[in-house]
Amino acid sequence: MKRLTLTLGLLTLAAVLAACSGASAAPESTTTPPAGGPSGAAVTVVAKDLKFVQTAMSVKSGSAFAIDFDNKDGAPHNVAISDASGASVFKGEIVSSKQVTYQVPALAAGTYKFICEVHPDMKGTITAQ
Amino acid sequence: MFASRTSLRTADVVVRAAIVALALATGYIHYTLGGLLFTLNAVGYAVAAVSMIVPLALAVRFRWIVRIGLIGYAATAIVMWAVQGPYYSTAYVAKAIEVALIVLLAIDFARHDGSPIAVVRRELAAFTNLVARRGTAAAGA
Repeated sequence: MKRLTLTLGLLTLAAVLAACSGASAAPESTTTPPAGGPSGAAVTVVAKDLKFVQTAMSVKSGSAFAIDFDNKDGAPHNVAISDASGASVFKGEIVSSKQVTYQVPALAAGTYKFICEVHPDMKGTITAQ
Repeated sequence: MFASRTSLRTADVVVRAAIVALALATGYIHYTLGGLLFTLNAVGYAVAAVSMIVPLALAVRFRWIVRIGLIGYAATAIVMWAVQGPYYSTAYVAKAIEVALIVLLAIDFARHDGSPIAVVRRELAAFTNLVARRGTAAAGA
């Protein structure tokens, strides 16, 4: 009886901790060579296995550009870009197992962070130059 | 170990079935999101759903804790989502399910346990009796 009580208690505790935890412990993506170039052309971002394949991108500052986003996961993902202060500058539509093209407004020169809003551990950087 | 059959009314069965269905539904949505956090969240909902109907005497005795726990669990999930998002269609569906789940759990609690204050008093009295009995048994040994 006591063992059963303890087991139920531990299960409940584990469930509550799962609900309360702020982020998963998924390992950070490794850096890969920059995608695209500072030409203002479209850049490609692939999401696969809960990671962005491209974790660094370079775009031309002051020019709008497109992101060809290919979500190869069944899980929903998007690309959301924020500036150095954390302010959001762009949020792409959240999609599952789908390719979409995001039209991103021109960015001032600088470094930006991009994440998947559903899985904030998925992240990378965009350099506008 | 297993609880004897209790006379649940039709409305109780419907409410209980709806609670299980909603808990499994939001658990499934979280499972499809992938990642450790969402998977654990899904497991939590599945465990809670089973705990709501498992005919073990202990589970029946402490079903009120399961109800309160699941209300807190769903409320925490809603608050966490409200704070950090993301805000899109599937998330709104999951949160609507969780709100409905909380409402049904509150109804189930009221029908079976009554006032939360009465439950706390009852459990305190039961605990006091248990301690007193153990004290008497220890003194007699």
